This record gives sequence, C-alpha cells and structure tokens, in this order.
Amino acid sequence: MKLTRRDFIKTQAAVTAASVAGVTLPASKVLADEKWDAGIRWDKAACRYCGTGCSVLIGTRDGKVVASQGDPDAPVNKGLNCIKGYFLPKILYGKDRLTKPLLRKKNGKFDKNGKFEEVSWDEAFDVMAEKWKAALKAKGPTAVGMFGSGQWTVWEGYAASKLMKAGFRSNNLDPNARHCMASAVGAFIRGFGIDEPMGCYDDLEKADVFVLWGSNMAEMHPILWSRLTDTRLTKPGCEVHVLSTYKHRCFELADNGMVFKPQTDLAILNYIANYIIQNKAYNKAFIDKHVQFNKTPTDIGYGLRPEDPREKAAKNRAKGKLTKISFEEYAKSVEPYTLEKASELSGVPKDKLLKLAKAYADPKKKVSSYWTMGFNQHTRGVWVNGLCYNVHLLMGKISEPGNGPFSLTGQPSACGTAREVGTFAHRLPADLVVKKEAHRKIAEKIWKLPEGTINPKPGYHAVLMNRMLKDGKMNCYWQQCNNNMQAAANLNNETYPGWRNPDNFVAVTDPYPTVSAMAADLILPTAMWIEKEGAYGNAERRTQFWRQQVKAPGEAKSDLWQTMEFAKRFKMEEVWPPELLDKKPEYKGKTMYEVLFENGQVNKYPKQKVTDSEGNEYMNDEMEHFGFYVQKGLFEEYASFGRGHGHDLAPFDMYHKARGLRWPVVDGKETLWRFREGYDPYVAKNNPEGAKGDVFFYGNKKKNGGRANIITAPYEPPAESPDKEYDLWLCTGRILEHWHSGSMTRRVPELYRAVPNAVVFMNKKDARKRKLRNGQMAKIQSRRGEILCRVETRGRNRPPEGLVFIPWFDAGRLVNKLTLDATDPLSKETDYKKCAVKISRA
Amino acid sequence: MNICSVVVHTRPEQLDAVQDRLKEMPGVEIHGGSEEGKLIVTVEDTDTSMAADTMMAFNDVNGVLNTILVYHYGGDESMEEEVISETD
Repeated sequence: MKLTRRDFIKTQAAVTAASVAGVTLPASKVLADEKWDAGIRWDKAACRYCGTGCSVLIGTRDGKVVASQGDPDAPVNKGLNCIKGYFLPKILYGKDRLTKPLLRKKNGKFDKNGKFEEVSWDEAFDVMAEKWKAALKAKGPTAVGMFGSGQWTVWEGYAASKLMKAGFRSNNLDPNARHCMASAVGAFIRGFGIDEPMGCYDDLEKADVFVLWGSNMAEMHPILWSRLTDTRLTKPGCEVHVLSTYKHRCFELADNGMVFKPQTDLAILNYIANYIIQNKAYNKAFIDKHVQFNKTPTDIGYGLRPEDPREKAAKNRAKGKLTKISFEEYAKSVEPYTLEKASELSGVPKDKLLKLAKAYADPKKKVSSYWTMGFNQHTRGVWVNGLCYNVHLLMGKISEPGNGPFSLTGQPSACGTAREVGTFAHRLPADLVVKKEAHRKIAEKIWKLPEGTINPKPGYHAVLMNRMLKDGKMNCYWQQCNNNMQAAANLNNETYPGWRNPDNFVAVTDPYPTVSAMAADLILPTAMWIEKEGAYGNAERRTQFWRQQVKAPGEAKSDLWQTMEFAKRFKMEEVWPPELLDKKPEYKGKTMYEVLFENGQVNKYPKQKVTDSEGNEYMNDEMEHFGFYVQKGLFEEYASFGRGHGHDLAPFDMYHKARGLRWPVVDGKETLWRFREGYDPYVAKNNPEGAKGDVFFYGNKKKNGGRANIITAPYEPPAESPDKEYDLWLCTGRILEHWHSGSMTRRVPELYRAVPNAVVFMNKKDARKRKLRNGQMAKIQSRRGEILCRVETRGRNRPPEGLVFIPWFDAGRLVNKLTLDATDPLSKETDYKKCAVKISRA
Repeated sequence: MNICSVVVHTRPEQLDAVQDRLKEMPGVEIHGGSEEGKLIVTVEDTDTSMAADTMMAFNDVNGVLNTILVYHYGGDESMEEEVISETD
C-alpha cells in the first residue's frame, strides 16, 4: 500500500480531531508518523478574533505561516477551532496589505482634498506632529484624541493610555469596546464595585440550565457553543433557553426558544424577579447577608445630542445615582410585571415565560445566563445587565460552579486591554477613574508624574468624539486597530462629516485600506497579530501571551512602535504648561518618549533572546528597535496598578509558559470564581471573620460593607420605534463567517466567497407585502440614510414579522448609514439593535 | 491544497442521517463518531469544490448543531503526492 504525504496529513488531521472530541477511531485509521510536519515550527497564540480567547497552534515554515490547529492544551477550546479559525493565518496575507505610510497630498504637500501618496515614516510623523502641536496650542489637550480598541494588545493599550493621559494630558481616549462592552462595565461597577465576570467558562460544563439573552452563541462564540452543546447532549435534565428578537441558529438546540419584541427583555426580567418573590422562592439567607436593594432614576433619555426633543423631554437625563430601598419596596416595584403583562409586552407565550421563570426559581437547578450585544447595545443596557444580576442575586445563584450571570465579549481583548488597562475616557488602569483624586494620585505616582498632571474631567467617549469632530471642537484624531467609520452609528450625519471637516486631521493605523483608512488624511500601515509579541485578556479574565512568529510586510510597524515613536516628536515644553514642568524640573528639555517610556521602569529589562521551551528562537521587532524588552517593561509597570488590589496579574514570564491565567493570580494560582471563599483569596483577606465557602462582594466593601446591589429599573420604550412610515425594526449584528467590519475576514478568499455581501434577513410575509421575493434587491431607508441589499427570507436568521436583520461586516453596504446614534445614557454605548426603517423594491 | 478535520455535532437521534448527508458532499470523508452525536470528518479541496465552502455548507445540513474545526493544513501542493511510505 502506497501512502502519500496527503494521506498522512489527512489521517493526522482525523486523529487530532478524534482525540480532542474524545472519540475513538477504528484501529486502521490510527497511523503514527511524525515526518510529515518536519520543518514546521509550532507555537501557541491567542486567536485574533472574538472574546472567547481560544488558543491556536501556529505552524511556521520559512518565515510564513503554513498550518494552524486548535491548541489541545488550551483549557478554553480544548483543541477545537471555529470555522473562522481555519482561515486565521490567511488574515496576514490579503492582497491589498498596506506596507507604506500614505498621506493625502497635492503639489507635493499635505492637502485634505489630495490623493493618497506614499510617504516615509518621517514625513508621516512630521505632518501629524505639526497638526497635533497646532491643535494643542490653539485649544489645549481636549482638541486631540485617540480612538483605540479591544483588539489592541495589552501593552499597546497601556502605552496609548500613557501617551494620552500622562503625556498629552487629554482624557480623549476611548476604545471601540465602548460600542460593545460599556454597558456590561457599568452594571458590574454599579452591582459589584469591580469590573468583569465572577464566573468562568468552566460553568459551561457545570450548569443544569443555560439561558441565552441576546446572544447568538452558535455563530458568534462557536467554541463556547460547542461546549454548551456537549453538556446539553450528555447531561440528563439539562435545558437550554434562548431569547432573541429573531430566530437564529441557537434555536435549533433550544428547549425553550423565545422571540420577544425589542426592548421587552426589561419586562421579562422583572417578571422573573416578581415570580420568584410571589412564590417565595428567593434565597432569604443570601439576601439578608449579601444584598442591598436600590432604585435608580428613571426617564433618563437616550444619549442623543442635547437639542434632540427626546433629550429635552427626559426628566432625569443621564442620571444614575442609586437610592437605597427596602426589600418590600423592591418587591412592590416588580409587582406590576405579572405573567400576563410580560407576555403581552413581549409577545412571548405565557407557558414559555413561565418555564423560564421556573428554571431560575428552582433552588436545585444551577443556572448560567449568557449575553452579548443584545443586552449591551441597548439604550437601557446598564439597567438590563443589572436586572439579570437581580434575578441571580435573589436566588443566590452566583459566584459558584454552574451558577452565574456571564457577560460575553465580542473582541479578543475587550477585557484585557480596554477594560483592565482602562483605555476609556473616564478610566485608568485596574478600575481606577480620572474623576477621583486618590486614583489620579496612584497613577501619577506609578507613572512618575508631578501631582496634577492627569486631567480630572472625563474625556469624550466614542460617540461624543464623532460629534466633537463634526462640531470642530476636537481637531486631531488618531484611530488604531479598528474601523470606526464603518462601526459607528449614523455615519452620514455624524462620523463622515466629522472626519472630513476641513479643520480636522485624522490618522488611521490599519493593516488594510478599510472604510476608515480611506476616509482618513493619513494612513499608517501596521503589523498585526503574530507579527508582534502580544497579550490579550478574554471574557473569563484569562490573560494570554504569544511570541512574534513572523515579520510584518514592507514598512508596516506595530501600533506599539507607532505610539512610542510618535511620543519622540514632542518636547515636554510642548505638551505641559511651565507650572507643571516646574514641579519636575528634571523633565525639562526631555521628549515625551523619554518621560513616558525611558522612566527606569518601562526600559528596565534589557534586550534578550526570546525562546520557547524547545529552544526555538523568536524575533521581537520592538525590542530590537528600542533596545530594551518593551513589552515586559510596559506589562510589569502596568501590573503594579492591580497587584494586591484584587486585579493581580502573574509575572510576565509566567504567561509565556502558561495557556493563559485567570486573574486575580495570587501566589501563582488563578481564580476561577470570584467573591467566594475557597475560590477567591480576596474574600478571606477582606472578610476575615467570614465562614468557609461564604460569599463576600469585596468590591463594595467601602460602599456598603461588601453587599451586591440589586437595582430595580422599569421597562421604558426605545429611542425610536416603528411607526406608520418607517414600519419595521432594524437589528444589526454579525454572522459566523465574518468578524466585525470584515477588515480581516473579507480578505480571506474563502470567507469572502462564502458570504460576499450583507443581505437583509426578513420574514416572508413582510417581503410579500412589499412585493419582494427572496434574492431580489431591496432599498432599506431610515430617517438618516439608505442602502441596497438583497432580500433573504430563507436564511439562517428568521425574523418575525415586523423586524429585519442586516449584518454590518459589508463595506459595500454600510448599515450604519441607517442606524441611530442613541446610546445608553449611563454607559454611552450605542443601541445597534433598534431603530425604524422602511423597505421597498429597489 | 487545503486539508482539514472537523468535529460535527448532531442530535444523537440524527447521527446516521447526518452522516449520510455529509458523505454525499465532495471531498468529505467520515472517519468515525460517537453515540453522543459527534462525527469526525475530514474535508479537502476537490477539482470542483473548496474545503472551506464544503465545511461552511455543513451548517445548513439538517440535523447539524455545530461544526468545529480542529486542524488545517494549507501547504505546498507539489509535495502532497510524494510517497512517504510503502508497505505490502
């Protein structure tokens, strides 16, 4: 029998799959031959896409990635990979990869209306620095801003935070995570006084009941979905409840699938709380000891521009201060949410709602709730996150294996970089905020800054940045590692006019000519993913590192390199006023780079060889260029913010060896469930008298003695609902094949071919009413713009009558021309799930 | 040349039916499975199909709950027909 290399590869592939799936293959299939992959160097890396945080093995040969596989040693994905993972290495090799800086020029000079021309890095930064200096001089630090990302590596976010908040003294730094996680953050801080989930993915095997709230896990988090599916199919009595405003792939596994009217998740959650109370099913001992009841101001507006009539009408615009109430007052506040009322508002049949409520109320069943953008992109996002905590807290189903509410993230480092590093307009590392003097002092001390350097006023958040660009109040803007021209809502009226405002200079750091890049004045080509050493933090608090595997093409340089190099262009005298500099005279005459990055801490670790356990050597382009171990220095300085304060990260070198570790990492041990003694070392530290296995919400220790906050909030209508003219709901989101704006996945030929264009998923009856058939081109219009899309009535998403779904990955069909820039007034996160449109034949 | 292996999740009662449907697709080989509803499948490019498209189509097969990739090889084509072992 002849065996070709191909046969061996195939057998190897099957054997690998069988071993990760725990399936035994017939003996004839099992061949052992190691020769076939000779010459391939394998090393681990965190996946570039979503917040699941899978680990993949990257096979490199002759400086190019040739193979990849799910990492069998990774606790997250246990050797599995989603379908996007198949193409992961291909994201590096798109044909239109940017390799040189591009500047709009006319007659050899920068011109906002010029055409893009290749320039040197020196020229690019010269022009950019000149614009920034002029803006700083004319209007001060609030005239410049940076828009970052939950896809930044940890140190890229940290370096950017230092550049903006310490160097330029501007809090105009926000991540695109504002569009995806801000509501979750708001609810964590309000409920528990500390950000990020208490539980972890281990709950996917330990729960009896799974409830998905506005999460299409089957398409957006396929690996978690496969773990959940496994549990459902193998654990007796396991049930899956799925709630969404349209039917999607998760409904195929659902024991109780519920399609509800947009925004009525608020009412359904209050009904569940009411059911628990009416049936006296609540865990009284837990509530008495660990919970405080509160109410929050209502009628808070929709985060629109202040002159909008909806804002003028709001009684308590953007207010969120909590008032303590009694259990009885809380019970009364949810009393109106009867089964009848919840069913009437939501359109979900009563028996289905009852089944859901019973699952939560059964003390014997362990319940894990998961949500993504359905909760977060919501004009009452902080409220609705909180209402889910209320239900878990009433039952005491929290902070233990199998029981817990869990907010999933959409980006690979929304937690690790955006949230933990604190690259938001109001935040500093480790949950510190610019508003509090004590917090600013901590940051100033660690960063070796004179007192008063950090601006106490929060900067412009993502949506406000676009408004300020349009209004000409912010004139210099640097976007890294995301595609906000495509991602931000109300593109025609806010984003685009802001970027093209003749008074403004916009630089975009990107690996590809995205919609953002093409709308910018300067494009800076970047090294992506494994072309640099990196670290991401996933949704379950797991920090993961990877080494640089290959070189970036041409003159592309990492975001980290760009941020640090740009800092060299400024003398301290150009960014700080003399009275501040007088407090630190040794900084006089120095560059911002020297003050921020050659401070004896960031440059503490000398150049060294990077090797794996087998002795393979790896590049590190930043270390080579700057002359010290940049990533290590930045990480260790950053980690000093959280160590000893419940945010402990392990020593740098440990992460290069481990498959990620979940913080707090204390004495080399990770934490799986927070706030419970026995799992979380901070419980005993904060509550030494507590019993074994007891819960203590130490994030609220100073505020209320360590209790979680139940916060009552009512149903309130969305900012814009369908009416006679605009008679359909529009919901936007993702699909399996494409990740976010498609900058990467649309450049993988196979993925592009699989789903080349966005379609409008709609109900057959709605199509028929408009004389539209499957596959026909339709015109979709909102009050803000219009786009053309083909109609899909038989696809994977099945909306009910009255609602359509359009994914946002397609640069040729920009759905954000239609969306409304209404936000949660508390979290400032946009609601991409609800606005009104009309559809006709194109 | 693309070769990859996937684990396909089905409802246990539909395991056989799904297996039959997948077998008809180009470049697909089923290597085994388990009663809980898992199939071990390899997919490769053929003259008329790309492995990627075939895998993507799995999700539209009735009874498939989830498709997950484990291994992907996308290397040099010329090397693949090289005989690396001969036995009687």
